[in-house]
Amino acid sequence: MATKATNRYRLDEKRRDADHVSFLKHRNWRWLKLALLLSVVAGLGYALIDQQPRPNGGSWYGYTLGTVGLVLIVWLSLLGVRKRYITTGNWSLKAWTSAHVWLGLSLIVIGTLHTGFQVGWNVHTLAYALMLLVIFTGIYGVYAYATLPKSLSSNRGEMTRAQMLESLTAIDRQLDAAAQPLGRSESDLVIAALEQDVFHGGAWGRLTGSYPRCATARAIRRMPDNASGDAGQALERVNALLARRSEQLAQIRRHLRIRAALEIWLFIHIPATIALIAALLAHVVSVFYYW
Amino acid sequence: MAFLIRTIDYTAAGREIVRERTVAEDRIGVGRAAENAIHLPDLAVEQNHVTITAIGPDALKVEAVGTLGFGLNGRTTQAETIDPREGAEIELGSALLAIAREPDGTVSITIRQAESREGKGDALAAFQLASALPSKRAMSWTFAGAILVLLLSVPIVTHLTRTPVENDPESDMPGQVVFDAAWSSGELSMAHHDLENNCEACHATPFVSVQDATCLTCHEELGDHAKMPRLAAGMPPLSQGDAIQWRIAETLGKEGPLGCVSCHSEHEGPVRLEAASEQFCADCHGDLDTRLTDTRLGNAHDFGKKHPQFRPTFYTRLGADKPMRVSLEREPVERSGLKFPHDVHMDRQGGAARMALSLPEYGAPLECADCHEEGPEGIGFQEVEMEDACESCHSLVFARTASGFRSLRHGDLDDFREDMASLSRSPRPQLGGRRQRPGEFARGGAYYSDFGRPVRGLISVNNALQEGGVCAECHIRTTTGGRPDLVPVNLPDRFLMHGFFSHKAHEDEKCTDCHEAATSKAATDLLIPDLESCQDCHKGASAVKTSEIVPSSCAMCHGYHTPTMPWKPEDHPDLPEMPKDNIAARLGVVRK
Repeated sequence: MATKATNRYRLDEKRRDADHVSFLKHRNWRWLKLALLLSVVAGLGYALIDQQPRPNGGSWYGYTLGTVGLVLIVWLSLLGVRKRYITTGNWSLKAWTSAHVWLGLSLIVIGTLHTGFQVGWNVHTLAYALMLLVIFTGIYGVYAYATLPKSLSSNRGEMTRAQMLESLTAIDRQLDAAAQPLGRSESDLVIAALEQDVFHGGAWGRLTGSYPRCATARAIRRMPDNASGDAGQALERVNALLARRSEQLAQIRRHLRIRAALEIWLFIHIPATIALIAALLAHVVSVFYYW
Repeated sequence: MAFLIRTIDYTAAGREIVRERTVAEDRIGVGRAAENAIHLPDLAVEQNHVTITAIGPDALKVEAVGTLGFGLNGRTTQAETIDPREGAEIELGSALLAIAREPDGTVSITIRQAESREGKGDALAAFQLASALPSKRAMSWTFAGAILVLLLSVPIVTHLTRTPVENDPESDMPGQVVFDAAWSSGELSMAHHDLENNCEACHATPFVSVQDATCLTCHEELGDHAKMPRLAAGMPPLSQGDAIQWRIAETLGKEGPLGCVSCHSEHEGPVRLEAASEQFCADCHGDLDTRLTDTRLGNAHDFGKKHPQFRPTFYTRLGADKPMRVSLEREPVERSGLKFPHDVHMDRQGGAARMALSLPEYGAPLECADCHEEGPEGIGFQEVEMEDACESCHSLVFARTASGFRSLRHGDLDDFREDMASLSRSPRPQLGGRRQRPGEFARGGAYYSDFGRPVRGLISVNNALQEGGVCAECHIRTTTGGRPDLVPVNLPDRFLMHGFFSHKAHEDEKCTDCHEAATSKAATDLLIPDLESCQDCHKGASAVKTSEIVPSSCAMCHGYHTPTMPWKPEDHPDLPEMPKDNIAARLGVVRK
């Protein structure tokens, strides 16, 4: 019994260690090595096998590369199904993801050699271009997941997303009260700032962090610096509140920007993958339809 | 210091009830306990939660009494100093305490209940990029659908529903299939450029590879290299990869490695098909006799190293019906039916040269081109016409007429007999005047033409055909049906029929560099240069080019479909060759 317990402990310890190893380094870079081997073998074959009349997808070697590439692409895209079932062991999701990344990269070599460096405006090159798009967005995704969450949390400080929004709401309520003594044109500026959706600006605004139509910024620009009497005091408050609103907005927008940078690749990676599978189908069928 | 405390409540009907009271203290407490200046009956609030202390005219210190913090402008904090001129909002449980300064200078604290936070979850979801973009699923279906419809379904449907038309090389009718240009893996060769928009002209049946029969609808005149069974038997075994590919391909209806398209691969860009490489020919011809044991073709794989001796086609017997193809190794003798010593005519000091010098149409010793005129293609020579090439010296004049001289008709003995029969019975006039010519030109000499005695035409005919007669000077005599006759002349205007030799390409050479005419004493010498004399300059394709050595692949002299001459339609444009600077081509060079 004692032995068993020791073994169990060791096994668990091993698993706990493995849990903290990046999926890229899974099993001592097993899938990187395999992907490199695949690429080198494919490259050597391309260089050494004399394909007549010239190397392209129609030689026997080209068909071989094409078949390997097709099987890889279909299997890689199945990660979308596989990831919904989390398991451990030999075919753990981590192993699967590691293989997905490294074998996906080896497709650059296999796909390019399959083309024989012949490209044109056709469905075949469309499939190739989509494949490259998927691979490069995937590379970006790995990079984004490795680096961006850190800046996301440093931007947040101690605040949750809900607190950021509440803070803005609190500022808005005060702004609404403080602006009561203001004249028409100043009030309109404040109303515009209060009414504008925090999340306006669309995907482009989120990605670039540029909001040229920001009503708060416009209100700050156009609000007079001082006025006499009661209105002067109110104006001072409103300006201070607008500045606070602008700061809070900036934090939210930084969050949106990092978040968009973190998520944008999937919005290309996934649709491009599905489009790639469609283009591959068209590629394979058309090649043999017009054989 | 006084605080104006304003409480805002709502009636059931939604009407606002505002109560105001003033607390004249510098420090007020906020909490659930009743003794606090601001009493909040909310279980989420501590008994004594927060104190607000005036620490200056424009500064209020807000502190949590216990460990539980409070919300200030949306953030949770323990203690903070605020400026009432700017204002602030303290959140405690469900109550919001808005701090501001009234126009009269007192600090007001307005208490109201926070609105319920409906839709908060939605607001948080808006932080995701997904809220600003169409869904991944929608984009996927849209792109995939567009590709499958436009690039797959439309071409297939229009291909299946088209009305097939017969191919016509004269028309450049576009095809009926829509969007199949997107299927083209590359531009067509220049020769097929007109078919760029007519894919179904070649790709006639779905999932059936381009068939030879389809190619032949336009290229019907093109010859076979050899009959298909012999081609197949002569082919070397395929590499394992090729064999597997062809086995699969043939199962799926491809016509095998000997079909048109296996060499004429299309869609490689606007180039012409490169002449087959030496290796391409050598694959079969290098050791053809091991597979085609009955072949009469010698093995060949490199013109400089292994090529059979030439086998010119010519007449080996006098008056033969058909020419024979004989290897130069057997030192063959040509029986053209003519007597013609080249050396006599080409001797620059000899009689022929002198005679040519004296004649205005030559004015110089004889050149080869005086008698031999190149054919239009520069490959063979035109037939030598006696009247043009020989008659200036070998005169056929046999009578003087009122207007001048009368010549015998050459070429047909019946014409000759007729001419002679019409000869006047008067004595033959002295053509050369009264003076006798000396030496060989004198009567009985080699250059003296004796028509016999003109007074008796028939005797003259016989004499002319006799040994020493004018005809026998160049022709070989024979007898047909008891009458004297001449052997017909069988002189081919082209000797090497299974390869093409361009005299044009050799213009810088002298004829005698290759043809040993200057020393040839008899017409039986076959003056066709042998393999070795060509190999002085021409080596195989792998030879290094120098000023003397010309690397020569098989295609320099042989065509695959048209062995006798390079295949070139009349309107053949000059086409660019296959690109040599792309990665594939460079790798190919390295590999070789």
